[in-house]
Amino acid sequence: MSEAKMKKSRLIGAAVVVAVAAVTAVTLLPGSDDHKFSAGPSVTRRLTAEQYRNIVQDVFGGDIDLGGRFEPDMRVDGLLAVGASQVSITAAGMEQYDAMGRAVAAQAVDANHRDMLVPCKPASPVAADEKCAREFLSKVGRLLYRRPLTEEQLSAYLTAASEATRITGDFYQGLGLSLASMLSSPSFLFVEQIVEPDPEHKGGFRLDDYSVAAQLSFFLWNSAPDSMLLSAAAAGELQTRRGLERQVKRMMTSPRLEQGVRAFFVDQLRFDEFEVLAKDAALFPKFSAQAAADAREQTMKTVLDVVLTRNADYREIFTTRKTFLTPELGAIYQVPIFKEGPNGSPDEWQPYEFAADDPRGGILTQVAFTALHSPAGRGSPTLRGKAVREIALCQTVPPPPADVSFTEFENNTAHGASTARERLAAHATVPSCSGCHKIIDPIGFALENFDGAGEFRTTENGSPIDPTGEIDGISYRDAGGLGQAIYDNPAAVTCVVDRLSARALGRTPMKEERKWLRELRADFEKSGHRLPALMQEIALSDALYRVGPPKAAPANRLPPTEEIITAELERHHE
Amino acid sequence: MSKGLNRRTVLRGMLGGTAVSVALPFLDCFLNTNGTALAATGGELPVVFGSWFQNLGFNPGRWKPATLGANYQNNAEMKVLDPFRDRINVISGTKYFLDGRPLETHVSGVQIATMGSLPLGVNSDPSLDTTIADVIGNRTRFKSIEIALSGGRQSLSRRKGGAINPSEPSPAALYTRLFGPEFRDPNSAEFTPDPQVMARRSVLSAVSEERKAVMQRVGASDRARLDEYFTSLRQVEQQLDMELQKPAPMAACSIPEKIEQAEPGRNVAAVERNNQLFAGLLAHAIACGQTRVFNMNFGTQGLRTPGGVRDWHSLTHEEPIDPQLGYQKDVTWFIEFATKTFASFLTTLDSYKEGPGSVLDRTLVLWQTDHGYARTHTMDDLPILTVGSGNGRLKTGLHVVATGDPSTRVGLTVQQVMGVPLNSWGRLSNETSKPLTDIIA
Amino acid sequence: MKRIVLASLTLACLPLANAAAETRHFAISWFSQATYSNDHDCSQGVHPAVEEVYLRYAAKLGATPQQVAEWRRKIMNGDEVRDLDQLIMNRGRIDGKPVNPYTHPASVVDLSLPGLDGKEGFGFDLDGKGADQPGSFQDPETKERGVDHNLYRALGCTRAFRGSLASRPTYWAWAWGQLKDSQPAWLITLEGADLKKDGPVTVGIDRAYEYLRSNSDGSPRFDMAYRVDPDPRSRNQFKGELRDGVVTITEHGKLRLLQNPLVSPEFNLKDVHLRLELKADRSARGFMGGYTPWRPIYWGIAGVGFGGEQQVTGDVPGFYHLLKRYADADPDPVTGQNESISATYYIEAVPAFVKDAGAPTPQVTRR
Repeated sequence: MSEAKMKKSRLIGAAVVVAVAAVTAVTLLPGSDDHKFSAGPSVTRRLTAEQYRNIVQDVFGGDIDLGGRFEPDMRVDGLLAVGASQVSITAAGMEQYDAMGRAVAAQAVDANHRDMLVPCKPASPVAADEKCAREFLSKVGRLLYRRPLTEEQLSAYLTAASEATRITGDFYQGLGLSLASMLSSPSFLFVEQIVEPDPEHKGGFRLDDYSVAAQLSFFLWNSAPDSMLLSAAAAGELQTRRGLERQVKRMMTSPRLEQGVRAFFVDQLRFDEFEVLAKDAALFPKFSAQAAADAREQTMKTVLDVVLTRNADYREIFTTRKTFLTPELGAIYQVPIFKEGPNGSPDEWQPYEFAADDPRGGILTQVAFTALHSPAGRGSPTLRGKAVREIALCQTVPPPPADVSFTEFENNTAHGASTARERLAAHATVPSCSGCHKIIDPIGFALENFDGAGEFRTTENGSPIDPTGEIDGISYRDAGGLGQAIYDNPAAVTCVVDRLSARALGRTPMKEERKWLRELRADFEKSGHRLPALMQEIALSDALYRVGPPKAAPANRLPPTEEIITAELERHHE
Repeated sequence: MSKGLNRRTVLRGMLGGTAVSVALPFLDCFLNTNGTALAATGGELPVVFGSWFQNLGFNPGRWKPATLGANYQNNAEMKVLDPFRDRINVISGTKYFLDGRPLETHVSGVQIATMGSLPLGVNSDPSLDTTIADVIGNRTRFKSIEIALSGGRQSLSRRKGGAINPSEPSPAALYTRLFGPEFRDPNSAEFTPDPQVMARRSVLSAVSEERKAVMQRVGASDRARLDEYFTSLRQVEQQLDMELQKPAPMAACSIPEKIEQAEPGRNVAAVERNNQLFAGLLAHAIACGQTRVFNMNFGTQGLRTPGGVRDWHSLTHEEPIDPQLGYQKDVTWFIEFATKTFASFLTTLDSYKEGPGSVLDRTLVLWQTDHGYARTHTMDDLPILTVGSGNGRLKTGLHVVATGDPSTRVGLTVQQVMGVPLNSWGRLSNETSKPLTDIIA
Repeated sequence: MKRIVLASLTLACLPLANAAAETRHFAISWFSQATYSNDHDCSQGVHPAVEEVYLRYAAKLGATPQQVAEWRRKIMNGDEVRDLDQLIMNRGRIDGKPVNPYTHPASVVDLSLPGLDGKEGFGFDLDGKGADQPGSFQDPETKERGVDHNLYRALGCTRAFRGSLASRPTYWAWAWGQLKDSQPAWLITLEGADLKKDGPVTVGIDRAYEYLRSNSDGSPRFDMAYRVDPDPRSRNQFKGELRDGVVTITEHGKLRLLQNPLVSPEFNLKDVHLRLELKADRSARGFMGGYTPWRPIYWGIAGVGFGGEQQVTGDVPGFYHLLKRYADADPDPVTGQNESISATYYIEAVPAFVKDAGAPTPQVTRR
């Protein structure tokens, strides 16, 4: 536990110590002690749904329809990017990958795309043409496998293409089916790290050239390496400091960086949960599917504006009044967002700055956050408070006791209680509840001016709402104060450093990597909390590329408990 | 939390808490409960999908069962379906969402019910029966059979971009199409494996060949995960192997009596008669492996009561609510007629026996309508029914309430259990990624 | 000059020019004839089913009783009656020759179907002739007598035009369903010194650039932003007053709004009366009355043609004769035929943000 955190827990007092003791800011894994370097294990990641989409788009173009569904990704230690190193592919999932692979491949070689994507013409459209197939499959294979195909692999796919051409009597169908099987292969679906002895550290290991390229590109771009990066890998440049720096610099200025930053925040803010977000339309008629999509994008745009466009202090995401809105969102925010274009044209994003006396400031007060962390029919200080701890501060809140009764809370106006604050007061009288609720509800109370779908309100069931709140001994008057408190909270800085590092590694950092994390944090602070600077430093860190030897036994990991906690708490509070 | 945790528990917890759609075992038509593949000759008969569209809905308060879950009691307008109650799921409370588009009465609802979206020009979405037919209807003589029960040739079966599969209004014409000179006895016909399947099977060898190299490269913990991957890949291969074998003979296939002449169903008597004829033809066609997808459009075009002047649709708007009964009397006569017709259709499918079961036993029928209450064109609290388990893919006999949810949750569920690779279905507010897990077996 | 206030919330706009006036904006979310159908308002019964009317036309056009009986039998049996359809689709007669009855309604024989003769109807005493004026109504809400609403008399015994404020008449529900998503929204702007107190107000009625925006369940969306179309043909302003939360127009001028040609190219009303209640949920509802030209109403109905006549409206040329018979204002100087008819429309409206098309966006702050 960090110095700052220790101080905080003392501040809060005895009742909370139980809870905070169960809270681990970062789950640190015991590292390899096989050699003197603090190198973590290599990881094999399953492509996330977003990465699969990005690669298909990068390799085959943006108009390819995937036509399938992905197995659910799994969040571990707060990130899907970490869960990706722990999941496999089930039979049902394989059938989906197989179907998607065929759909993508069929489009890639169809009449609309083949001229652009297949670099040659077969001698006959109804017969196998090994030369042309070789040209295409080796080119595409290098991008999909993120390294050149071995001659053995290539010959297997060439045989597949010619056999399929023979059966179907169509060169392009055969080629497409061979490509489809490549899209079903483990070398495409899993990002393996191939390890080699590290010549600079005797007894140590490092990622091979192409694994370095993949590590970089999935971190910075959330996609596979482009051809230039693969060429740099082929030339051995990525194993030199200068070569690595040159590529990182290039990648940091690429428009794809936004894709990588987006992916991090979608993961960190748990925006994948928007896929299953639903509101009771009778209670929240404005919260349409379009409004939900716009709200998610609004927060992404707000964050990207702070961290990339303005390259401002990362912490401003919790306080900034500058945002972007559509007419659809304007209705929910109750501010006028007029169309600019002609009637019937799509709604456009417009920059908007909330006035200084407006309760909206920072992403925690936006519709995306308040609506995502509320049940379908109302708001929830508990879920929101818990989300602030988990998402903004990387803390974990233990689950409620198994035998707790929620009937008091379910009934909106039981015992004359009108507001959530009054209803939750019932929990405070139960000792087994009060410990946790004390550390989460007061955070959420500050957001009570926003209903279950994020619209502003001043009353609940006719009673005025009191939006005062408190976090770790710091009190504030309203949502704006909450944003400032998070801005000022050192845990918010540690949180983003740890999670970004975990995302880059594809695993939770180990104990031995604490020193590295501390350095990152210190440099991040020195830079004025500029996220691109932090990303660049992570991308250039040895920790990403130096690994322990391939292990004989599974890594000694803590069980990924967090999802159970979240799921159960949500269920109880639903 | 004291229970041992493993990845599966975690995954389950996650799914339970956030309602992520659970991937379904699409392979189960080839696997028995032990997960081993059945021999081709002893395999169960393939699943069949049917849609039944009845315009003009039910009366509010007269169709919805009073209780939730299992053992519900049918309300007045569904009483006639009592013999099938334990095979029917009633889904209530769902809505069609317009997202600001104009309400085209009797059209918008049909579009959302069948396509999951309101069409936008040439990019209209396919109706769900066609996506299902693309999965289960590829190896039959007819990919699907469309029938217009009450006259006209109106069909709700559409390909992407709006191409319509036309409906057949005449039982005599359908007889000729199915069992006329072009009919071949499926049991005497040569079996030719599908070249597409052969080609797919052959290219997967290139992937399997990677196994050895991959397993050598990765560490032990990842080896278990990749082992699971290769097991999954093997199952896809086995599924293709099954498709390449000659299927079991269709022992129950028999050719129906010839239908010489039957006018399209412009009046209720004709509808009643044609319904029997169509149901019989479909049962034979399914038993003889001619099709695995059918679409029955009950329609309403000009359907009048015997001796009555006004048609059903006009009556929904004009007939006063009977003060004693509390509903429109003549409209209700039509509703009951339509439901009776549906019950008789199901009875015919169920009385066609195939071994120990019936044609209905391997069929899943989706019943939908255009409005919650036709009189005022409401788009909410829609009645939706599923009939049959489709070879055990759905649980049955349940009343499920999904108040305020898009109706497309039902369409998504049905497509997923039929094996359509869909993560979500519908557009805008009608889009959903949440199947009705309550009814998935 | 401009201050946007969302009533139930403590929201106010920063004053742009002077702070003397307060403004509230609405987008009209429902607009149709105000009807009050009940069991005692058509003493000769509601008009017969359209097939029955067709058979009457057939008889008038010379069909023998045997022919009519045969058609009736076939219709009952659900059989096609193409010869009758042909006759009906061409039931107009000019110089003895068949013509399209919908485009030539005056050429169709008048069956003299009855109008409504009930006692209650929504509206205003437009002509000021007072309570005892024959053929006038009593308003069911205000209890005012001498109400002029002859549009209701003309159409009120036709099935498609019967209904109440809650169970909306089929035709108007259909018409508004077409209009609301296919024509720019109509806006109401109230301006007064303090809209929480009684006092004089001005009432602006304008047309927006944007369509009315709906929620995903089809209900109108509160707090959407609309720009006013500067086209002078749709700009209207009236003097009025606010009393006990109800806005009325005190100087009854003319109203003109462009509409959708599908129903009518323009909506025109003269001697405009308004009674608009401001509701606690920030929305508004009420009635607008005046005299409107009746021929455009006919052409709006006539657009449905033979199919729509059968399925929705009933006898279309019959409406021509009814409207013509009940028209009660603006006599043609030559023929003496009244060209306008007294009418009352029912309005619902939701709160909105509104600005002139060219104006800068107003800033909203919360006190």
